[in-house]
Amino acid sequence: MNPITPIINGMKITLKHMFMKPVTLQYPTERPKVSERFRGLHGLKVAHSKAKCVACYLCPTVCPAKCITVEAGEDANHDKYASVYEIDMLRCIFCGYCVEACPVDALKMTGEFELANYTRQDFIYSKERLLEK
Amino acid sequence: MVNLTIDDKQVTAPKNATIYDAAKMNGISIPILCHDKKLKPFGACRMCLVEVEQMKGRQIPACTTPATEGMIIRTATPDIIKARKMVLELLLLNHPLDCPVCDKSGDCDLQNLTYEYKVNSNRFTDEKFNHEIDYNNPLIERDMNRCVLCGKCARICDEIVSFGALTFIDRGIETKIGCEFEDGLNCEFCGSCISVCPVGSLLARPFKHKARFWAMTKHKSVCGYCATGCNLTLGVKDNKVLTTIYDEDQGFHKGQLCVRGRFGYQFINSAKRLTKPLVRKNGVLTESTWDEALEVVAVRLKGGTAVGALATPRLTNEELSLFKQLLVEKVGTSNFDHSAGYAHAALTKGLVSSFGTAASSATILDIQKSDFLLVLKSDTYETHPVVGFEINMAVKNKDVKLTIISDKRGKLSKLPDAKTTVHRPGSELHLINAIAKALIDENLIDESARTISGFAELTAALSGLTAEAVTEYTGVSSSEIKKIASEYATASKALIIFPVGQAYTGHTAALASALANLSILTGKNGKEGAGVLCLSEKNNSQGAVDAGFYSQGNGLDALQILDGCTSGSIKTLFIAGENPLVSYPNRTKVKAALDAVEFLVVSELFMTDTAAMADVVLPVCSFAEKEGTFTSSDRRVQYIKPAIRKIGQCKTDYEVFSLLLSKLGGTAPVTAAAQFDVLASKTPGYEKLSFAVLRKDGAYAPVSIKPVLVVTKAEKPIAAEPGNLLLVTGSALYHSGTLSQYGEGPMHVCPEGYIEFSRTDAASLKIVENDLVTVTSESGSLQLKVKVSLRIPVGVVFAPYHFAASSINTIWNGAPVTKVSVTK
Repeated sequence: MNPITPIINGMKITLKHMFMKPVTLQYPTERPKVSERFRGLHGLKVAHSKAKCVACYLCPTVCPAKCITVEAGEDANHDKYASVYEIDMLRCIFCGYCVEACPVDALKMTGEFELANYTRQDFIYSKERLLEK
Repeated sequence: MVNLTIDDKQVTAPKNATIYDAAKMNGISIPILCHDKKLKPFGACRMCLVEVEQMKGRQIPACTTPATEGMIIRTATPDIIKARKMVLELLLLNHPLDCPVCDKSGDCDLQNLTYEYKVNSNRFTDEKFNHEIDYNNPLIERDMNRCVLCGKCARICDEIVSFGALTFIDRGIETKIGCEFEDGLNCEFCGSCISVCPVGSLLARPFKHKARFWAMTKHKSVCGYCATGCNLTLGVKDNKVLTTIYDEDQGFHKGQLCVRGRFGYQFINSAKRLTKPLVRKNGVLTESTWDEALEVVAVRLKGGTAVGALATPRLTNEELSLFKQLLVEKVGTSNFDHSAGYAHAALTKGLVSSFGTAASSATILDIQKSDFLLVLKSDTYETHPVVGFEINMAVKNKDVKLTIISDKRGKLSKLPDAKTTVHRPGSELHLINAIAKALIDENLIDESARTISGFAELTAALSGLTAEAVTEYTGVSSSEIKKIASEYATASKALIIFPVGQAYTGHTAALASALANLSILTGKNGKEGAGVLCLSEKNNSQGAVDAGFYSQGNGLDALQILDGCTSGSIKTLFIAGENPLVSYPNRTKVKAALDAVEFLVVSELFMTDTAAMADVVLPVCSFAEKEGTFTSSDRRVQYIKPAIRKIGQCKTDYEVFSLLLSKLGGTAPVTAAAQFDVLASKTPGYEKLSFAVLRKDGAYAPVSIKPVLVVTKAEKPIAAEPGNLLLVTGSALYHSGTLSQYGEGPMHVCPEGYIEFSRTDAASLKIVENDLVTVTSESGSLQLKVKVSLRIPVGVVFAPYHFAASSINTIWNGAPVTKVSVTK
């Protein structure tokens, strides 16, 4: 084969890509469009201005990474609520089983993916941090 | 036995078995909601429908149909499954389906069956119930919206507990379980109803929302309160005992528990637990290290006979025997005792002289096999509630005759056909001796008794007892005494039951011997369902006696040790778990002794009144944190293993004693198992026992008796003078010793000391329930809350002894009966 041909072919590809729309994003100035079903940071849904979660303990039970800590409490109306709801994001594998297990549709996974932090403690998301804003 | 075929399997079953029992015995499970092993068949839920070929394919309930010879039964035909599905659909129609917030979820029979039968839709529609939920009760939460009307709660409360707090009220679709006049629950709070509820209608309030059933590890253990030796299953999560779990196959009592066993577990993980050793420095108890604390203790233990020790019979057999070894071999003292000395005298002196061994001649299992029960003190129900349940069942189901001799009436007096003889307080011994005399006079004795040593002496001693004197002292007519004697003697199997304890100072060695005399005279020992059963107070009281941890020979007993502290002959006192300041008689005297002793070391779970006076406090473990054995009052030796890790820096008493032993130049067996082997080789009846044998179910240590008739001399009981009442002490149903004060459950329903009056006395003193009165005796005065009840005879008042906040020993100096005056 002519030794020049592969070089020309290669250059062709290179040149073609120079005029194509790039797949990479200029993060953080450019932001990705996150899919509806993306499994990012968890969110606790709110209804009637309180968390929908009834602390049934199904999410910590189903969680394969054992990253969810729930403690149930009893409110003034004798209803069960989560007095503690914590997710350790360093352990979470974002499988979404918790959302699937939830019998009252109180948990969702948001598009939030920027979870970097400085200390280990910062990765433990408390109930306040998880409540949907 | 009958032969029948269930699902093509040839099986045999006892003659009185139902189809359900027969199937269960042979490993075939039939779904059911309304049945419990302990209860009578009821047939409420219709889940256990089966087809019997001889009944032309009709569907019949397995739980109420007796198994008969040649029956051919099918338990799972498509028709039956269809019928069961419909039963579930109908139950789920009104059931709220709030499993996510229901604590029963995971352990719920209805939920499990719904899963099993895949009932995921419902053909019917109806409204859910809207009954009011009882959140106010501190122990038992009732949500009748979830109820499936199986009736188990009402039946267990009636058949076993004999309280009858719950029943069906209203009719038809309106039917629900409730209390009389739809009032709140005010019962014994044994929680039996919770244990059998197949759904989440009845829940333990202290456990509410604490954890899911599946998230807990279940540890089998033995209850740490009284000497009945009930088995427990502790529900543990994150090193915390969160609840007790019902297991119908556990123990002789089949999972049945009392309020203390079921709701009194919170002391194990109490925030008040001591976690670090404390050493008194400059007059203040300051946190220290184990090394320092034990070094100080070891130095002070080198005092020979100037060292005394008191241990609680809540320690394990191994700990008690190691403690004894430490004291005898390395310290060189025999001044050690438990239970105030007198509370075990009925065993260690009374039954030793009568039976030749410090043990009862009957077991708790004999209660239901007997024909006639003679119960001394109605308090037997309060001190040992699960023994009380056995008596209930014997009387109600087995037609056992019950006679109670007591200074007050009680729960047992209310049983069907129960005869209660109420005598003047403090005259038990007169009455028992009079019964013995009646046995001899009426020639009701067994011929064998005449040859038993001591017969002539006893006859001679009793001949001086005149009917007039007996009636004067006891207040019981001679005809009634004769009647008890003849009923006792003519019953082919008769069992005597009596409790002993720190609050029952009248239950002395002489009384135990007098009761033993009755059984010996009539030849009632050594037979099934007959004999004498002495119910010791704490979970290992019998074990402490078996391990020999009490004063023998030259050793001082508990009260003499305290006297020695005051006089200066005892310079170092080691108190392992006892709380003499509250539980021993005469608080002033105990306080003076503990003040006077040069060095006081206390090993405790909590900062009790006694521990607060110590020079060194060693934090030790509860029963849930250690390995060892407990011996119940009928000599059932049972094994316990740790359910949780040790709290804080706590060490088990076993570790404490072995560290002290090594500091004093000895060595202890490394494991509790080895220590038990040492103990077993020395203790009669324990020879064949080892941890390997006991690990599964525990075992009875056999008792062999050599009967001797013992002459007992009764003192003249004190009589009331005008303006005085006679105070008798005892146990409250909700408490055991002073430990149950740290269990939240018992404290919810019985938080403070009280004094119980008869209605007549209350009226004449113009006091009503919950008034605060000042009770004054020779030794002091004390403010107590008033309780008015029908069970107390006129002129008598009753007060329990458990409470540090209103310590009854301020006015009680150990006399069986104390004269008190009451002012408002």
